[in-house]
Amino acid sequence: MMDELELLKKDWQKKEAHLPQLSYNDIYTMIWKKSHSIVKWIVIISVLEFTLPHLLYLLPGTADSLAIYEKLGVKNLSMTLWVIGYGITFYFIFLFYKRYKEISILDSAKDLMKKIIRTRRTVKYYVIYSLSFLLLTCLILFVGMYLNNDLVAVFKTDANDMNISPEKFRSIMLWTMAIFSVLIVLFMGGIYFLLYGLLLRKLNRNYKELKRLEI
Amino acid sequence: MNKELEHRFVTELENNQNIVHKVCTLYTNDQDSHKDLFQEITIQLWKAYPKFRGDSKFSTWMYRVALNTAITLYRKSKRRIKTQDYESVIFKIKADEYDETEEQQLKLMYKAVKQLGDIDKALIFLYLEDKNYSEISDTLGITEVNARVKMNRIKTKLRTILNP
Repeated sequence: MMDELELLKKDWQKKEAHLPQLSYNDIYTMIWKKSHSIVKWIVIISVLEFTLPHLLYLLPGTADSLAIYEKLGVKNLSMTLWVIGYGITFYFIFLFYKRYKEISILDSAKDLMKKIIRTRRTVKYYVIYSLSFLLLTCLILFVGMYLNNDLVAVFKTDANDMNISPEKFRSIMLWTMAIFSVLIVLFMGGIYFLLYGLLLRKLNRNYKELKRLEI
Repeated sequence: MNKELEHRFVTELENNQNIVHKVCTLYTNDQDSHKDLFQEITIQLWKAYPKFRGDSKFSTWMYRVALNTAITLYRKSKRRIKTQDYESVIFKIKADEYDETEEQQLKLMYKAVKQLGDIDKALIFLYLEDKNYSEISDTLGITEVNARVKMNRIKTKLRTILNP
């Protein structure tokens, strides 16, 4: 076996003369091309994850929903939570940026992987946090609705038009709210784990392989 | 950006491009992917170049960036469907240069190396490039002892592939 490897080594070094050669201009054009590295993908996806949920608040109709919060008597609680929520979000953005900046291609393979995984983990915690936050907001809304006796007035709906009793309307609304909350959290969580699972499959495998060597 | 820096970088890379080609050969299976990976490595080298201080040789520095890109940063673009295995120059055996058994042996060896995992390939690559264990362990971020242990395991693995 040793001889075979030595043979391979000799042959490998001989092969150099036959490798393809790129010209100065070929290489010069390449340095201006866009990178497709996974670090870049992580940044793009993370920026989307940080911004998209907040863009929702800019949609028309948000004012209406604020009115609903008020009528349900949970406006102050929700507002306080939002302020705290934004504070936490900015902290996550800061942490993410700091860790992203620490990623350097000049590290050893293992350190590089470790830093990428750590950066990604920051996003993971952020997503878990924001999904819990979303669930909490839904819960507050749900409790508000549950404790309110006149939901028809809150949602400005004339239940008579729909030929259903206010009690029925109430139970429909509560069920819709409960199911919707769970579904949206599951849906967003599913997308997240699928996306990163696919993106980082190779990296995780190689990192585990290097880690295994330490045992 | 600084024109002089661009020129210096492109010239150095042009002179040392063999290293990148060899990494690409090891980690890709078709010509399109080879080109794709070469480009990604070039971009990463260029981005990191301002930090290259010249206290090590440009080629030494390249090994690290090229391998890190191949093992960690590079993702095969989905556009490219695996068409056919291309036989790059490095894996082609010239019949007239070797006697038949040697040629056969080499062919099998190259094939076996291609079947290894990403980390194993990196180790074999550095070994074939005549790097010592201290350099290998430094590039991969493992201890020298572990690099040796790993190398021995790869040898066993190659032996199993060659003599199933």
